Amino acid sequence: MTIRQEAAAIDAEDRERTARRRNNRIRRDAIQFAIIAAAAALVVLFAFSVKNGLAKHGIQFSFSFLWNAAGFDISEGKTLVFDGGIWPSLTEFTPDRTVAQAFVTGLVNTIKISVLGIVLSTILGTLLGVGRLSTNWVVRNLSFWIVEFVRNTPLLIQLVFWYFAVVLHFPPIASAAKLYGGIIISQQGTYLPMLVASKNASALSGLLLFAAIAALALSIAVRRRKIGRIAAATAIALFCLTLAIGSPVAVDYPAASKFQASGGTSISPEMAALLLAIVVNSASYIAEIVRGAIDTLHKGQWEAAASLGLSRRHALHDIILPQVFRVVLPSFGNQYISLTKNTALGIAIGYPELFNIYGTIANQTGHSLEGIVIVMASYLVLSWIISWLVGLANGRFDKRGAMR
Amino acid sequence: MIATSLKWSRHNLFGKPFDTALSLIVIPGVLWVAYQGLAWAFQTAQWDIIPESLRVLMIGIYPADQIWRSWTAVGIIAALLGGTLGCVFPFRAGHAAYLAIAMILIAVITRGSGMFTILAIAATLAVAVGGWILTSHAVQSRRFLVPAWILGLVAIFAVLSPPGVALWGGLLLSVLITIVTAIVTLPFGILLAFGRRSRLASVRVICTAYIEIMRSVPLILVVYWIWIIMPVLASQYGIADVARGMIGFSVFYAAYVAEYVRSGLQSVPRGQTEAARSLGMSEFDINRSIVLPQAIRVVVPPLVGNVLDIFNAAPLVFIIGLTDFLRAGQMILANPQYGDRTYEIYSFLFVTYFLIGSLITFAARKLEVHLAKGTR
Repeated sequence: MTIRQEAAAIDAEDRERTARRRNNRIRRDAIQFAIIAAAAALVVLFAFSVKNGLAKHGIQFSFSFLWNAAGFDISEGKTLVFDGGIWPSLTEFTPDRTVAQAFVTGLVNTIKISVLGIVLSTILGTLLGVGRLSTNWVVRNLSFWIVEFVRNTPLLIQLVFWYFAVVLHFPPIASAAKLYGGIIISQQGTYLPMLVASKNASALSGLLLFAAIAALALSIAVRRRKIGRIAAATAIALFCLTLAIGSPVAVDYPAASKFQASGGTSISPEMAALLLAIVVNSASYIAEIVRGAIDTLHKGQWEAAASLGLSRRHALHDIILPQVFRVVLPSFGNQYISLTKNTALGIAIGYPELFNIYGTIANQTGHSLEGIVIVMASYLVLSWIISWLVGLANGRFDKRGAMR
Repeated sequence: MIATSLKWSRHNLFGKPFDTALSLIVIPGVLWVAYQGLAWAFQTAQWDIIPESLRVLMIGIYPADQIWRSWTAVGIIAALLGGTLGCVFPFRAGHAAYLAIAMILIAVITRGSGMFTILAIAATLAVAVGGWILTSHAVQSRRFLVPAWILGLVAIFAVLSPPGVALWGGLLLSVLITIVTAIVTLPFGILLAFGRRSRLASVRVICTAYIEIMRSVPLILVVYWIWIIMPVLASQYGIADVARGMIGFSVFYAAYVAEYVRSGLQSVPRGQTEAARSLGMSEFDINRSIVLPQAIRVVVPPLVGNVLDIFNAAPLVFIIGLTDFLRAGQMILANPQYGDRTYEIYSFLFVTYFLIGSLITFAARKLEVHLAKGTR
């Protein structure tokens, strides 16, 4: 065989191979196309039969009902109102608002419970998780049994129990428990003191207070000790100065009369029960995450830090916690998402969150399918926002861990 | 004795100043709560409501004269659970002692009830042990476990249906929803997991989208949505609420099962697939006989945990008007005659849920240890 013949043979083989590859690619593209077409056809068929089925019941699939007047009231919650200004304002919902604004009220309530729940359950969960590793026998076992009990019973029964057996058994407001700090706990609701703008507030004092808070935040956030001390000193000086020229904020204490309480901020029994149930439940799962993370962290990390002469505080701050946070954050994110989803159980005790409001709207208007699309989309967006925020935090920790 | 307990408490309660402070705060609090709880349980609480309403709690508003149907269903479930247990933990003579203790306990608890109930309980236990012994010793019988579960479920449906599917309720309904969902989601979950790893981008996108959407919305929403959409799609068939609820649960939990299975598939080393490919096996054969068996070993414990999640989510069927265990308890409390027994009923519900939940958690942990033994 000459070189030329050999080259020709290789050439032919090459051509054959490219042809085969092209055929394979075409075949795979065809399969892809067929699958997408089948999926699209299924979706269209589904939508079509739903539309047909609804038409049989005399319901038109359209979103125009969103702009009708709602005609029902919501027990609590604020909605977005556009009244001329550039920014919408948050005002109490009234029956003459639109259905869309009722949805917004539900969303605002859901977000309110979720944010409060995330913050409180992270604190309580971390305490419980550390408590499970405590050197104190009672604390260790107490934490263990709380976590086990909560994780092995349904959330719904916990919620119903908190509402019907605890919150509704609080004393009536006439003989309400008054705790230190002016908190009033009663059947009608829980009242907390709140910060409000005081009478002698001025632009200068407001600005000074803002600067003081910023300096305080800087002193906590900054890692260089010297700058931190300067910031803390500045914060104290600014606070003193603010108090000297007259504080811009005052504390509004709730006052109870025979039938109601006024002043401060109030938490309805439904919200209190939902918050309690969700915080305790999520905290137990977070406790497990925290305990697992500390457990798997190698003991050598503590020992190595100690042998380098780091104090326990520094070892915890610079060595242990950054690693624990990096391990724990993705799991925290999942827990936060399921916490947000769990707020939908508010319907069982009548807390007006998104799903509950959806139920009312579906009953009133009959547009249950359009409503569910909106509700599903809202929950999807909430989940995405949470995982995006957790991803951001995770990236920060990762970078910090890599640099140090 | 006193010296050792003093030493123990110094070591475990008052070891450091911080521990001492914690102990001084926590111990009186715990003792006070325990005292209040015990005082209530033994003095104030009127437990007679529990035996009186036990039937409603267990089977809801299912007709009392048809109770043999419920017992048959319980017996089938017991036999199947026993058989499943035998596949993992073979029956040994030592277990007979535990069973005897369980028998005595049950006899003490149910001593007031009729002869029929006691016989039924004894028969249920006997069937469970029978299934356990069968799969422990006759290894060939294990192959029939999956068909047996499916046949058993069909039999349960056939036995329970005649008085009316709408009458199902109580703890039995919670358990049935859990079992059906756990079994139905398994094949769909495996398919979705493979779909998410497929080489075809379109399959991958569709499966990922399904899983991610289901994992981002609340279960209660999915169940309710399926419940309202099914009559719209097929109004001529009139599908029962129970079936619609089970479909909703399955649609939702298939996504979770898929994620567990996917984590198992990822844990199978690449070398396994490559070795199988170099032997000339087809992709289907590789997945079926090389990857999946190894993945299942890893995912069984989390899947058992998933069963607990389903069981704990079952009370959500209240949204479509079904009377599960929790709802049955609330129904009893709605009776003005029993309005003041809130704590008694809730205590019973909590204890039952906690016992079943702990049992499932315990099984998952045991399985994890047991299955980890075989690997390096």
